[in-house]
Amino acid sequence: MSIKKGRFTIENLENVQINIGSVVSSGKAEEKEIPKGLTPAPEIHELRDWDLKLLDRYEAAYSPVCDMCCYCTYGKCDLTGNKEGACGINMEAHQAREAMLRTLTGAAAHSGHGRHLLNNLIERFGADYPIDVGPSDIKAPLTQTIMGIKPETIGDFVPVLDYVEEQLTQLLATTHMGQEGSAIDFESKALHAGMVDHLGMEVSDIIQISCLDMPKSQEDAPLADVGMGIIDSTKPVLLCIGHNVAAVTYIMDYMEEHDLFDKIELVGLCCTAHDMTRVNDKAKIVGSVSKQLKYIRSGIPDLIIVDEQCVRADMMRETSKLHIPVIATNDKIMYGLPDRTKDDIDDIIRDLSSGDQPGALLFDYEKVGELAPKLVMKMAPIRKEKGITALPDDDEFKKLASSCTMCGACVIGCPQGLDIDKAMEAAAGGDLTLFEELHDKCVGCGRCEFDCPKSIPILNVIEKAAQKVIREEKGKVRTGRGQVGDPEIREEGVNLVLGTTPGIVAIVGCPNYPDGSRDIYDIAEEMLKRSYIVVTSGCSAMDIGMYKDDDGKTLYERYGGRFLKGNLLNTGSCVSNAHISATTIKVAAIFARRDINGNFEEIADYVMNRIGAVGLAWGAYSQKALSIGTGCNRLGIPVVLGPHGPKYRRAYLGKPYDKDKWNLFDARNGSVVNVEPAPEHMLISAETKAEVLPMLAKLCFRPGDNNLGRMIKLTHYIELSEKYLGALPDDWHVYVRSEADLPLAKREELLKKLEEEHGWKIDWDKKKILEGPARKVDVSFQPTNVLRLCKGASE
Amino acid sequence: MADEFPFEISPMFEGERVRKDDMYVELAGPKSKGFELVNAVGLDEIEDGKFTLIGPELSEMEEGGRYPLAMIYRIAGELVEPDLEAIVERRNHDFQNYFQGVMHLNQRYDVWLRINKDAIAKGLNSFEQIAKASMMLFKNELTFIEKIEATYITDLAKVEEELAKAMERYSARDDRTRNLHDEDVEEFYGCSLCQSFAPTSVCVISPDRIALCGAINWFDGRAAAKVDPEGPQFAIEKGECLDELSGEYSGVNEVAQKLSGGEYNRIKIHSFFEYPHTSCGCFEVVGFFLPEVDGIGWVDRDFTGNAPNGLAFSTMAGQTGGGKQVMGFLGVGINYFRSPKFIQSDGGWDRVVWMPKHLKDKVLEDIPKDIVDKVATEEDVQDIDSLKKFLTDKGHPIVERWTTEEEEPTEDESVTETGAVSMPQVGMPAFDPAMLQNLPPMTGGGGGVKVILKNAKVTIDKIILSNKE
Repeated sequence: MSIKKGRFTIENLENVQINIGSVVSSGKAEEKEIPKGLTPAPEIHELRDWDLKLLDRYEAAYSPVCDMCCYCTYGKCDLTGNKEGACGINMEAHQAREAMLRTLTGAAAHSGHGRHLLNNLIERFGADYPIDVGPSDIKAPLTQTIMGIKPETIGDFVPVLDYVEEQLTQLLATTHMGQEGSAIDFESKALHAGMVDHLGMEVSDIIQISCLDMPKSQEDAPLADVGMGIIDSTKPVLLCIGHNVAAVTYIMDYMEEHDLFDKIELVGLCCTAHDMTRVNDKAKIVGSVSKQLKYIRSGIPDLIIVDEQCVRADMMRETSKLHIPVIATNDKIMYGLPDRTKDDIDDIIRDLSSGDQPGALLFDYEKVGELAPKLVMKMAPIRKEKGITALPDDDEFKKLASSCTMCGACVIGCPQGLDIDKAMEAAAGGDLTLFEELHDKCVGCGRCEFDCPKSIPILNVIEKAAQKVIREEKGKVRTGRGQVGDPEIREEGVNLVLGTTPGIVAIVGCPNYPDGSRDIYDIAEEMLKRSYIVVTSGCSAMDIGMYKDDDGKTLYERYGGRFLKGNLLNTGSCVSNAHISATTIKVAAIFARRDINGNFEEIADYVMNRIGAVGLAWGAYSQKALSIGTGCNRLGIPVVLGPHGPKYRRAYLGKPYDKDKWNLFDARNGSVVNVEPAPEHMLISAETKAEVLPMLAKLCFRPGDNNLGRMIKLTHYIELSEKYLGALPDDWHVYVRSEADLPLAKREELLKKLEEEHGWKIDWDKKKILEGPARKVDVSFQPTNVLRLCKGASE
Repeated sequence: MADEFPFEISPMFEGERVRKDDMYVELAGPKSKGFELVNAVGLDEIEDGKFTLIGPELSEMEEGGRYPLAMIYRIAGELVEPDLEAIVERRNHDFQNYFQGVMHLNQRYDVWLRINKDAIAKGLNSFEQIAKASMMLFKNELTFIEKIEATYITDLAKVEEELAKAMERYSARDDRTRNLHDEDVEEFYGCSLCQSFAPTSVCVISPDRIALCGAINWFDGRAAAKVDPEGPQFAIEKGECLDELSGEYSGVNEVAQKLSGGEYNRIKIHSFFEYPHTSCGCFEVVGFFLPEVDGIGWVDRDFTGNAPNGLAFSTMAGQTGGGKQVMGFLGVGINYFRSPKFIQSDGGWDRVVWMPKHLKDKVLEDIPKDIVDKVATEEDVQDIDSLKKFLTDKGHPIVERWTTEEEEPTEDESVTETGAVSMPQVGMPAFDPAMLQNLPPMTGGGGGVKVILKNAKVTIDKIILSNKE
């Protein structure tokens, strides 16, 4: 029997000597868990070796959006043509620095959110409140892997965020002039920032899942309504925008206590909406960030509560015109509003409803909880009576459309280059179809309006023209389920190990889609049909739920929500992305029983060589999307961005033609094995849906694939390429190690091609490949990039 | 080649359903007759690729109609043998579902097919197309098939006639499976598929022990080893039987040593405590030792509550796995409960004291009649105390083991002396005490333990004094 914590009675003492070192007085005795592992809470340099391995194979490729540096007063400095700046920095290092800074910004946004939430929840629930994420033993995989500690209570996350904040400060310091000068070290720092970001996200989501009773690894979490068409605007409409649900939970509690859910339409935009539905499934989701300006302009919201991240900077200009009061609840967004935290609720309601003040800061969430429902009920009749909307009426609409001179300035200004001018012309002639199509592709940024020489409120015109479509925008999204539970990993493990699950595709991120939101629905459906596990979160999770099949069912209704092949999982909001990367850690912990504690490099190495997971941020626009992607990269998970991706300034591209870059060790004996380029890239952009689908399939290849796994992966790679690009991929043969890797239905045809086009030797009697492949399959091969993990080897 | 068929062939069509409204024709199924059968025959008995249809052709069938269908494949090859028939036959379901517009459900005499209108419109008009595509896939995947011939029957009388023969064949096969035991074969099969994820895992698959993922039985292993003897499933020569009861074989030990890279050198395939089988990560059920009652409990992935020891599946599964021999825990496939050699080294079912209700129901028929009511579920007991009471009340054979011990030390009297840790070893077989280190705390805390310190030296670095709150 091992004696654990507890109460013991010492019956007798014989010849006992007690030495007491010192006696001090303190408020509370502290018991600190000693971090375990090789690199617990790593400093920037501690995982640098791993970064250099990654960056050697996946070289940073830069796309300078701006080729000047204007950080200091020596500048601005032109860095083109191999010129260096006044401080000595060159183009490469500066671009790396810019990309690192963006990663850092994203990471700070998530962990700032996490810190705010943690303070709030500790105040409400106490630091000893236990973590509960569902039926898992590995409750905080990223925290264990990065920090080397196993948190039990929400208070245990305090030192985790302390670490995150320290790292962010150290990293931010390096962007100051006269600090880091090497591009590759800026990349290593960016990877560090990305890793730290995932840690901050994990803290944020675990504490809110635990305290706010959100679904805990629940495959059948309830479905929530989503879309501009689902909102009952006859009721007072209370709109919450942002990412931090802390303040909104007080509103929901108040509404429950006072039976107000029937009387008030509580709706959310962006990730706050996701988290609202996780707390209370009576809340509704308007949609992604691209609906923000459009929905405000509709005039439907009677009151707006904002918290943080992805909230429009022009909020007050837009809302004050429409007499929509705004309550800001977080330090990060204050809009120059007066702080009314200490004021009487009735006074605030009076000043806001009269329009004397356009909004207020309110940091007392009890007050927010009571004020918001009261104020929205007061505002609704006032606003409805006046019929306030920014949308033109039919006559005005005609006039506006006809006033367009077809100059095309808006098309140039539009991030997607949408043919607004042509749609205007058609609308002037009474044909709204072009605008109806354009509406979904429009990301609602409003940049066109600033470019219009005729000052046409273009966004209003688009929204007015698309009213019929908007009314039909009714979808469903499965509310965020949180982590993937350990038992699910074990169950799906059979498929992962046998190879019958071709891969895990995470469709995440923002809605800056190149060609409308339909693309990600199509991509998700295609991959689900092919039995990939599709994981989603954030704005992408909403947009996937906006489309239905012939039976009127969304993908969430058609596919199960378990971590199982051919299932679709919504983990939740932006910060729930942590659970996606954490899932790969769980596989390493559960299957290989790798010690994950403070053991980041080994786990990342395992993930990169074995787990066929790929991320897709098709509409990535925010810095957060970059930091999430970069964090995935450090963990060995490749990420694909949409065509706006190069604006982040940097990609991590593999060189499949450079054989030397694809050497691995076999951990059984440390021998060097030259493998196929898998995964081929770490961070890459694709231009079109047709290009991205086969790319996703290809990025699921791993050196550790067994025959069945490779055969299934190759089948989908080839089929997707043929289906969307009309041809066999030019590198399919690179991934063939034996005839058993060949797609079953095409085996003979492909053997023939291998013989004729690639000069391989085939035994046609046995239909066996005799010569050709770069290496043979060995199911016991233990691929690793880290020499120290090999038997009998030291680096 | 794939292009010769008027339909696409891809795993992406596996999940495709053909609903009534989209259906051109329904074949076999609950409202008609039909079956599928694979027979192993001699190489000179068949002609490779030959197809015979008895009865009306697809093109002669009426839209919306329902017809009988029998699909008989005869296979031949140097390595082909009757033991492989079932394995080959089962693939017909997978393959035919790869065909766009074809839905295949169930197996044997329960088969049920539907073909959708789109497939017909695209040119599917004969059973020969389906049969040829199926035969191509059979040969591509199961390379021990050198020749294959198909006969499809759509004539009711003929289907019924052949069905009677098929039923005999199925029943003979079932007898063979049921009566085939470890001692009847020369070879077991090893599976190292898990090694790509769990490096030291070695699965030993015998007629009486299914792989612990539940996906591969002895026949599957045999078929796979024939397809590729150097592949992830391979034959293990049993060698000398070192201990029949616990299932220890010299051949298995040799392979274990080799494939685990020397991590361990003995495996007893029907043992729970001593040199147990390794556990990878994907076992369906985990067994756990309950020292308080000297019994073994089992918990599966779908059970979300806590077992009587207060631990959930995921917690105990976390102790297991990773391709390691873990004392006190054992991962198994559900079908292992149906094995006559089920942990026979440690008393078999007489040692089982607890399992979740739904798991028990799943294997109910295979639990010996005299013990079935004595195995507790979460509906009967919540903790160790109520489990003890349940077992006593029901007269579980484990209770006898308690009383055969000279004295039954209770927790209250267990005494710790100078670091030597004692354990209520109620009739427990000899095993490495190291396993105890792996056991998680069973009932939490050290409640009620008396400690006597002798010749102790206590060094305290710091005492922190604080006010009582």
